[in-house]
Amino acid sequence: MILENIATAFGELANIKTIILMLVGVAGGLVAGAIPGFTIAMAVVLTLPFTFGMPATQGLATMVSVLVGGLSGGLMAGILTGIPGTPSSVATTFDGFPMARRGEPGLALGIGVWSSFCGGIISAVLLVTLAPQLARIGLEFNPWDYFMLVIFALTITASLAGKNMVKGLIAGLVGLLVRTIGEDEAAGIARFNFGSDAMLQGFNFIAVLIGLFAFSQLLSDVRDPAQAKKALMDKGSVHIRIEHRRALREVLTRWTIVLRSSIIGVFTGILPGAGGSIANILAYDQAKKTSKHPEKFGTGIPDGIIAPESSNNAVEGGALITMMALGIPGDVTTAVMLGALLIHDVVPSPTFIAEEPVLAYSIFIAFFLATFMMVGLQSFMLRVFVKVTRVKMYVLTAVILGFCGIGVFALNNVEYDLWTILWFGILGFLMRQFGFPLAPMILGVVLGNIAELNLARAFAITTDLSPFFTRPWSLFFMIVAVFSAVYPMYQDKRGTKTWTLYYPALLLIAVSVPLFMMGGFIRPSIGFAIMVGGIYTLYKARVTHKATAA
Amino acid sequence: MERLNKDSAVAIFLLVLCGVFFAASFDIRVPTYGVLLPSTWPRAIIAALGVLSLIYLFQSLTNSQEIPEDEEQALPQPGFSGWLAYWKNPIWCFVLFFAYLATLPVFGMLISGIGFVFLLLNVLGGWSAKNLVFHAIVAIGCIGAMWSLFTYGLGVILPPSDFPYLLTVLGVSS
Repeated sequence: MILENIATAFGELANIKTIILMLVGVAGGLVAGAIPGFTIAMAVVLTLPFTFGMPATQGLATMVSVLVGGLSGGLMAGILTGIPGTPSSVATTFDGFPMARRGEPGLALGIGVWSSFCGGIISAVLLVTLAPQLARIGLEFNPWDYFMLVIFALTITASLAGKNMVKGLIAGLVGLLVRTIGEDEAAGIARFNFGSDAMLQGFNFIAVLIGLFAFSQLLSDVRDPAQAKKALMDKGSVHIRIEHRRALREVLTRWTIVLRSSIIGVFTGILPGAGGSIANILAYDQAKKTSKHPEKFGTGIPDGIIAPESSNNAVEGGALITMMALGIPGDVTTAVMLGALLIHDVVPSPTFIAEEPVLAYSIFIAFFLATFMMVGLQSFMLRVFVKVTRVKMYVLTAVILGFCGIGVFALNNVEYDLWTILWFGILGFLMRQFGFPLAPMILGVVLGNIAELNLARAFAITTDLSPFFTRPWSLFFMIVAVFSAVYPMYQDKRGTKTWTLYYPALLLIAVSVPLFMMGGFIRPSIGFAIMVGGIYTLYKARVTHKATAA
Repeated sequence: MERLNKDSAVAIFLLVLCGVFFAASFDIRVPTYGVLLPSTWPRAIIAALGVLSLIYLFQSLTNSQEIPEDEEQALPQPGFSGWLAYWKNPIWCFVLFFAYLATLPVFGMLISGIGFVFLLLNVLGGWSAKNLVFHAIVAIGCIGAMWSLFTYGLGVILPPSDFPYLLTVLGVSS
């Protein structure tokens, strides 16, 4: 069945127009990803209006191509200039830049490209195999479970704000509140429109997203007048040749790092809220910890490029798994992708893959094909990238703001959406200045109606609150939400407070409880294994505590 | 100390916002159908936001957060002129974008868009003669290309200019 769907999806994508659009998408993504300050999400957002007139498969394939190109574009800037193009290529600069400075930029780029390729392919394979399985699990979810899943997604996103957890939670709640403005989706009643007819329709979430994220980012980029007048990068050479053969050999001989980093990437992506910016650091850290020569990391070794580049390309595969299977976007980029799907009348949910297999598999295959295109286009786009970096930041900002205006108007042909960009641009800019993370707010806006609709459905079934605690999945998400809320405190106090010794053990024991409640054989068995692990960790913590006290 | 005051001010603003939205939640009509009232979910959010804003206010008053060195260097000079100089570029962006939207019904997407990009380029990049020409080419080229692509390529009807109205306003035509 899967093979049949894959073959049909291939057939859908295998036409010259779609392939050209995908090539353009990958090329555009590569350049966008390479420009510091121009995020992948922004590139995907700007592509969205162009896909309106296309059939869903073609439009989504183009969007996926931009996404894949953007994921790999960051490495060019990171390796050649030491300035990461995107947050997901920060760790690539640790070894990529020293290797390039040592006189091997072609090899460094080659390793980056082939690691990205391997990470992308591994994640595409996992996407095809895991998404339908996760969707099957998703079919078990009832409104209580969905509601708690959204709460978990928001909590974990806020917890990634670290010491600013309170600000992260506030941002998430403001996002939820923004989504309540306009007509209530369940009952069709006007809320918080303050007498304005325009506000009755609420805020288009793509316009909110562009305002909050893109508009505010661009304005932050030109805040300093001197920096705004500088070219994006002065460094970089056009005469670099990517050493594909040698690089591929280096990557393949380190296949364990590729595999481990890709898996880290996929699972970081599956987790709502976590994204490439975390995965690349995690993978780099793991590669360093497991290396026989950790002291060589940072001096320009292949391992230090392979780990972050494999993981950051694998992340989006993971994020797409959650989005396609459950309809829950994991990060800002997938939130935009969700918007793209909705515009094309595609509503991701657990039944989506089963009901629309051709479309779903077209997205999977587009991800796969775009990864191949990325390798082919990387050498050519390197020259374009060097030319683009000569552009001054203010020119880019002004032009992109102009493009945003036209693009957002085209979403619904409503001027009100343009005002939405302005108001949310101001809000996003102020939030950045006051240290509020934007990701929780964006997820709040995207997930707000999902949470409310599921809460309304839950209450329509029963007004009893006990299913939130008695339904295994709801309890599971509640437990992980609570632990993820405490996590920043745990990280901060680890080693200084006694309770932090027991945190991992308590998490394992608590998580095993809903698994026991799920019935069957496999899940309680996993629960049992986790419980045993938890008890052992508890014992170890107790011993450590006693030793410290003595 | 500055950060402390800023955080306190933001926390107070958030509390006021909660108050406004909570009061407005009483204006939400109660339907005769459904179990979950349309005001329940927003009120739950407002309550949680209010509690967190109080925690934030408390934190801002008790924690003496040190401003990182790099952030400290980037702070605006004292006084209104220093503040204005520091935020000049973002303020111009907002003002010009506002003007762009305000003039959209009269000038249409093409002229307003070109005007917005051209003015913004000059404000951010400088008004020298060389820049004026370069900025004009960039503005006309980029916005013109994008407008043409949407209008002719994608068939999107972008806001047209209302010249008769404009001429009436200017007194050129009756």
